[in-house]
Amino acid sequence: MRFALRRLGFFLLTLWAALTLNFVLPRLMPGNPALAIIGKLKGGTSPQALHVLEQQFGIGTHQNVVAQYFGYLGNVARFNFGNSLTTQTGTSVGRIILNAIPWTLGLVGVTTVLAFVLGTGIGIVAAWRRGTWLDSIMPPFFVILTVVPFFWLGLILILIFGVKLRVLPYFFSYTYTLTPSLSLSFIGNVLEHAILPAFALLITTIGTWILTMRNTMITTLAEDYVRMARAKGLPGRRVMLDYAARNAILPNLTGFAMSLGFVLGGAILVEYVFNYQGVGWLLLQAVQNTDYPLMQALFLLITVGVLLAILLSDLATAILDPRTRAAS
Amino acid sequence: MRRIATIAVLSAAALVAAACGGSSSSSSGGSSGPSGSLTIDNESGGTWACDFNPFNLSDISFSNGNIYEPLVFVNALQNAKATPWLATKWAWGSGDKQLTFTIRNGVKFANGTPLTAADVVYTFNLLKQHKTLDINSVWSVLSSVTQQGSNQVVMKFKAAGVPYFYYIGDQIPIVSKAIWSKIANPVTYPDKHPVGTGAFTMGKCTPQNITYQANRHYWQPGLPKVGTVNYPAFLSNDTANTYLANGQAQWGSQFIPSIKQFYLSKNPSYHYWFPPVANVTLFINLTNPILKNVAVRRAMAYAINRPKVSSIGEYGYEPASNQAGIATPTFASWLDKQQLASYGNYAYNPAKAISILQDAGFKRGSNGIFQTPSGKPLSFTVINNGGFSDWVASMQVIIANLKAVGIQVTPSNVAYNTWQSDIYTGKFDLGYYGQTGGPSPYYELRQDLYSGNTAPIGTAAGSNFERYRDPATDKLINEYAATTNPAEQHAIVNQLQKVMLSQVPVIPVTEGVDWFQYDAGSFSGWPTPANPYARPAIYIYPDWAQVLMHLVPKK
Repeated sequence: MRFALRRLGFFLLTLWAALTLNFVLPRLMPGNPALAIIGKLKGGTSPQALHVLEQQFGIGTHQNVVAQYFGYLGNVARFNFGNSLTTQTGTSVGRIILNAIPWTLGLVGVTTVLAFVLGTGIGIVAAWRRGTWLDSIMPPFFVILTVVPFFWLGLILILIFGVKLRVLPYFFSYTYTLTPSLSLSFIGNVLEHAILPAFALLITTIGTWILTMRNTMITTLAEDYVRMARAKGLPGRRVMLDYAARNAILPNLTGFAMSLGFVLGGAILVEYVFNYQGVGWLLLQAVQNTDYPLMQALFLLITVGVLLAILLSDLATAILDPRTRAAS
Repeated sequence: MRRIATIAVLSAAALVAAACGGSSSSSSGGSSGPSGSLTIDNESGGTWACDFNPFNLSDISFSNGNIYEPLVFVNALQNAKATPWLATKWAWGSGDKQLTFTIRNGVKFANGTPLTAADVVYTFNLLKQHKTLDINSVWSVLSSVTQQGSNQVVMKFKAAGVPYFYYIGDQIPIVSKAIWSKIANPVTYPDKHPVGTGAFTMGKCTPQNITYQANRHYWQPGLPKVGTVNYPAFLSNDTANTYLANGQAQWGSQFIPSIKQFYLSKNPSYHYWFPPVANVTLFINLTNPILKNVAVRRAMAYAINRPKVSSIGEYGYEPASNQAGIATPTFASWLDKQQLASYGNYAYNPAKAISILQDAGFKRGSNGIFQTPSGKPLSFTVINNGGFSDWVASMQVIIANLKAVGIQVTPSNVAYNTWQSDIYTGKFDLGYYGQTGGPSPYYELRQDLYSGNTAPIGTAAGSNFERYRDPATDKLINEYAATTNPAEQHAIVNQLQKVMLSQVPVIPVTEGVDWFQYDAGSFSGWPTPANPYARPAIYIYPDWAQVLMHLVPKK
């Protein structure tokens, strides 16, 4: 109990620090939203427009920073992040993010879980059958893929399956002329559009899970209790999963919790290469357009996501492994 | 296809119902009606907000021209030729201080309400009332806009305002008084369901795509020919380029590296045309104690090999500029060739650059870099947008050219926001930036040279980023505003060219172009060098609506 409370206290402290940084950082960025809009118009407007825009955004009429800071904290507590300045001018930031989150959760979330499950599984089996063809091919192959730049792999996939073979759609999250609905055909369309980005994301992230799982698993397999289990004549599958894997999975689980937290940030490169309308894309847009409210809300979302994930993984580890409790 | 047809019929039905006058529109589904679907391809860097407020700079390029129409169309590619749009005629009076428009009869908004002179008066006074909607600052020169008779609008100016005809006539879209007068705050109004007089209506908008439908009751008979226009949102240039080259879009406004191989080779009906409209310019901070010296600026102008910058940095897409600041061939008739020739055309001439510097009293140091008599090296920093790979490559050529004549320049390729903010506020020695220009060269020269467009260092300048101030030049610029006589206008622009040539306040390097690719196999009627009826880039409003109205689907 004391452990849980201490973790919670630490969580709150980190959260406050993150909130404050989140307030300060965007304000240190050069430029302002008015300049960003002028740039977007590619020279299609008159020079006077800058002045007009600065008035619209209230630039030069800054209220004092302390008042801004407390106003900001109050708004965060009420989940009020204000309206987007430039990305989707005037729309509430909350709504913009809510529009983007399902796409990211669907694509990046599902892929992260899949990569973890598959990667850990392959890692367990590879360690168990050390030295077999499976162990000598799978881990090196996928580890090599993790260092392949994602955008490069994505472009190759687009080139092969989209442009040359023309078998899979490669841009957008659904055929853009369709109206989103819950019909089977629309869902099928969404899934079809998710195949290439999900595949690219999967094969570039799975290697890490395989490698860490295989390595801890090998160490665990050398433990006395595993030898004991074998000596007792327990079936191989049971020794592998219940004795070795259960203990070896702890570091992977922590890593998994953290990557779940990062899912909320979207996968900027995936969404960029495949023209996918998720949170990562939104984040990029917000930064490019100097959209402070949107940036703040997104950074906050990511920070809170990661902090929560860490808190949960700490608690989960404590439940699974009594030693972590004792040590504290 | 069936879906689209259904939507079109439904919206047509809705229009008829809304019109409620029971006018007998006979064959709205006939064989000659709008048909086909056009997909346009212009990297936007984000998803759509689905707002269409025609006075909001974020939304303006989605509704200006195609949905909301201006009074006149001024074509920058045909010597500012003015064509009637919602106004049928116009006339200057009272020493170019009064402009009278006659408003077209028989024009209807998409909801069936007729357009009247009162709507035009209302639109302009809306901008007066809400300064932040007046993005072209027309009320800085206007004093009143009133109705005269049943179909005329009289605009009175504080001073002669001839160049403002372009902003007033071509850039301001007319909205319905009946609708807009009920809007509580027009500044923040998102205008999700725009109602204009244009050839298209907004059919559907999602973050991924905007669908425009042909307005089947458009006032120009037989137009538009295109039934549906899709405008999908592309986050990156690469994505948009791939989509275009793959034939999934027919109209592109993209920068495509190696365009012959990447785009033209894919299909014989693919074409491109990049008409120049304004210069990409090396801005020189005139408050810098060394750069203040005109000899240094002239030497730089001779030292830069513009054709080489164009071919290496810009793939030859953007032609080399001339020091007179006139973008050619678009404005070739304005270029004073004789005057330019008297300066040796400012053609690449490193030997001349070196002799100018020597004559001005600079001495080369041991490292080959010129120094002022007091021993300060001619060493500067140039700020550039690190995100524009073509501009970064161009700058490498410029830097090598300047180095060869003993001027050291260090590149500072910064992020977009920093670059823009520093250019506007004058925090640079040298800065690379593109001017916006206008329908005649006067606009760009005014942007470059008019002291009203500048500001002290630290404060954002409108467009005179180098901080040039000269009362005689200002006088010339103001005189141009008071004449509609082409001969006088040319004489003034010639004198402005003289300022560019003798003072070298800035150095135009390459000519910025409109990016334009098109598939002639699916649609005909595209603008071409032989028929430059409008600026061809998608993001240029209201020109893009002219293009949409000229296109004819090929079966």
